[in-house]
Amino acid sequence: MPTNLKTVVIIGDGAAGTIMANKLRFHSDPSEIRIVVIGNSSRHYFKPDGVHIPFGFRDYRNSVKPSAALFNYGVEYLRDTVSGINLDDGSVTTVSGKTIEYDYLVIATGDRFTTGDLPGYDQEAFHFYSLEGALKLKDRLKDFKGGRIVIGQASIPIQCPPAPYEFTFQLDQFLRLKGIRERTEIHYVYPLNRVFTIQNVAAYIEGLFEEKGIIVHKMFNVDTIDSGSKRINSIEGESLPYDLLILVPPHRGQELLTKAGMADESGYVDVDRSHLNYGSYDNVFVVGDATNLPISKAGATAHFESEYLANRISSEVNGNAFFESYNGEVACTTITGPNEGITLFFSYTKPPRANFQSKSDYFLKWTSSDTYFSAMIRGIM
Amino acid sequence: MGDEVKPTKVIDARGSFCPGPLMEMIKAYKQGKIGDVISIYSTDSGTKKDAPEWIKKSGNELIGVYDRQGYYEIVMKKIR
Repeated sequence: MPTNLKTVVIIGDGAAGTIMANKLRFHSDPSEIRIVVIGNSSRHYFKPDGVHIPFGFRDYRNSVKPSAALFNYGVEYLRDTVSGINLDDGSVTTVSGKTIEYDYLVIATGDRFTTGDLPGYDQEAFHFYSLEGALKLKDRLKDFKGGRIVIGQASIPIQCPPAPYEFTFQLDQFLRLKGIRERTEIHYVYPLNRVFTIQNVAAYIEGLFEEKGIIVHKMFNVDTIDSGSKRINSIEGESLPYDLLILVPPHRGQELLTKAGMADESGYVDVDRSHLNYGSYDNVFVVGDATNLPISKAGATAHFESEYLANRISSEVNGNAFFESYNGEVACTTITGPNEGITLFFSYTKPPRANFQSKSDYFLKWTSSDTYFSAMIRGIM
Repeated sequence: MGDEVKPTKVIDARGSFCPGPLMEMIKAYKQGKIGDVISIYSTDSGTKKDAPEWIKKSGNELIGVYDRQGYYEIVMKKIR
């Protein structure tokens, strides 16, 4: 093993960890950088398809691939669970008893659903944020004959902030195709005084909701779910009955990061917003949903962050000049109706604008799992 | 902070972007008790509008919105 070989350890085998590893492999020579990914997933699920699967609009089998098959040649994939991070020693330990030393550490551990944070959630609520959740909701919708549906999110932040409104548009379409839209009320609840975090996008989406007869309840921060009376209650004092409750579950970052002293009880890590490094460590980085950055928690975010970070690490190891920084760039495409979609482009300094729907944006989203598995996850775009 | 009211809890959300500061305020509200005075510092101009609206909607009392040097301070009292 060459003495100048640097080891990059990546914790996490989801979108962020996999894209990061594959991009870095493209940018670097195996004689200079060894890449080790530690993760415990047997399969890799393309989460954006969760807004289509419950309606049978997409076959879930096209949205899942074996995790181990997605790494480029030259990436070492270790199926294990990290049990500790030792920043001072520059090593991580695993449940199986291994200690792995690193020159660079990239934390890509994502976040998790903490349904226990909201009593009644597990008994009453459906969601579409995991494959299991999407399939369970699909079963429920098969028998749905009409009634009152309440859709919302249990808290902020969540993965993919536009997904709840995208799902709602797909639900509206599904109910119309099924011929029961007139027998169904759709109530959309949102924690802020608009239907999305960003004002101009929210105004545009609210206009579309109005066109489709979707009833909006703003400033509805979920407080309790009453399974007896089938009502969801807000902190603000509003109470809504439901026949079907679809609620994005509460999220937190990983306990591992809280235990390592890198995050508070929320589990999200504060990182340098321009360079993605943690604290005073210039060789420890966090990418994807695990960060506390004020941008969307989405695969697209991980994609842009990884492009920056793979360039940075490879340049540093190779001794090349590198003066770039991450500018908060994110892009996000959502379907808004039959043959209609919108794409939002964000950065730290430029908020997105939503002005029009287009068929090309619809196709961009509709084909995104193919683009993801064939190119994006491989680090070649 | 207003001279006449001492806050029970101060949240320094400076540097955090919308909706972070408001969510921090709501979290503090949920954890607090009736009569608590909650003060939040924010550099995000959206908080200046969003937080008072939320305080009103939730049936609590807005004590004041103060333009400090380089940030805003919003003070509320939990009354329900």
